[in-house]
Amino acid sequence: MQIENRSGEPVVPKLKCPVCEGSVDIPDDALEGELFEHQECGAQLELVIENGQLVLKLAEEVAEDWGE
Amino acid sequence: MIIGLAYDILRTEEKLLIDAAKRLGHSVKPIFVPKRIEWLNNTYNEEFRELGFVLERCVSHYRALSSAVILEGRGVPVVNPYRVIRDCGDKLVTTTILASKGIPVPKTVVVYNRDKAIEAARELGYPVVVKPILGSWGRFIARATNEDDLLDILDFRESMNSPHFKIHYIQQYIEKPDRDIRAFYVWGRVPVAIYRYSKRWKTNTALGGKAVKADLSEEQIELVIKSAEAVGGGVLGVDLMETKNGENLVGELNAVIEFRNTVQVTGYDLAGDVVKSTVEVFKK
Repeated sequence: MQIENRSGEPVVPKLKCPVCEGSVDIPDDALEGELFEHQECGAQLELVIENGQLVLKLAEEVAEDWGE
Repeated sequence: MIIGLAYDILRTEEKLLIDAAKRLGHSVKPIFVPKRIEWLNNTYNEEFRELGFVLERCVSHYRALSSAVILEGRGVPVVNPYRVIRDCGDKLVTTTILASKGIPVPKTVVVYNRDKAIEAARELGYPVVVKPILGSWGRFIARATNEDDLLDILDFRESMNSPHFKIHYIQQYIEKPDRDIRAFYVWGRVPVAIYRYSKRWKTNTALGGKAVKADLSEEQIELVIKSAEAVGGGVLGVDLMETKNGENLVGELNAVIEFRNTVQVTGYDLAGDVVKSTVEVFKK
């Protein structure tokens, strides 16, 4: 989901970390499901879209059936 | 071509595939599986009509299986298809298929209770390796050097809730030269391979195994191709073990390949190869 300013240029959104409430920079070409590590608090975060808005939530924990 | 990418977590591999597709002039439709609502009686879906194929990239085996079969049910080609993911996702099934095609695999036995496990392990000879039939990244794989070790492992397994832990897949322990081989099969070719070095007996890069570019012999390449084709081909990871007496055995096959370490150490554009070759296969 690309966010653009009024001139149509992509902008880097800043989202709130759900753990420490600090600010997290998200690249403009980020996709839902992308993982980010918040440098300030070390939380593993996942980008999701809720009600049309980009938000960060704590990333899903590794499950038994993950991986190759 | 419009290429679908079914995923649940966007890892380095998925980003490399998206970049490669765009670089090669294709567009990508991301299909974020965890958020989908799939009506199984709806076998035609306008949403997927334009797709040339879908790359199945879910990190969760069961999400990969279910999203692949649903997409296939709607007439969309999926790489790899449901059947290939299923056959590679269960070690018991993979080994059975490979062995039935005469492909060399470690001596393996399957038993359903501890008494038979002890009996089979005595016949196999220690050390033995006990593996979950469904599992990944080397988790819950354990080596028993004697009967006491095996009993401990069986106690642990039989206390687990998942029913698949009650099926004991026991394999001869292969003395390897501190490494095994991960080869990549792409539609009939083996474009790149790595050695995975480790001082531990488990060589998975997920457990810290070090990746180094590998040059395979003709015989190894042939074995990789034969193994991948035994389960239906497509795009696969094939693990080989070299024994001390120069034999090559096939360990496991992977249908949703992880390749970031391979790209890093070989410089090979595997994502580009996968996209380009798969487009060729499904070009109308």
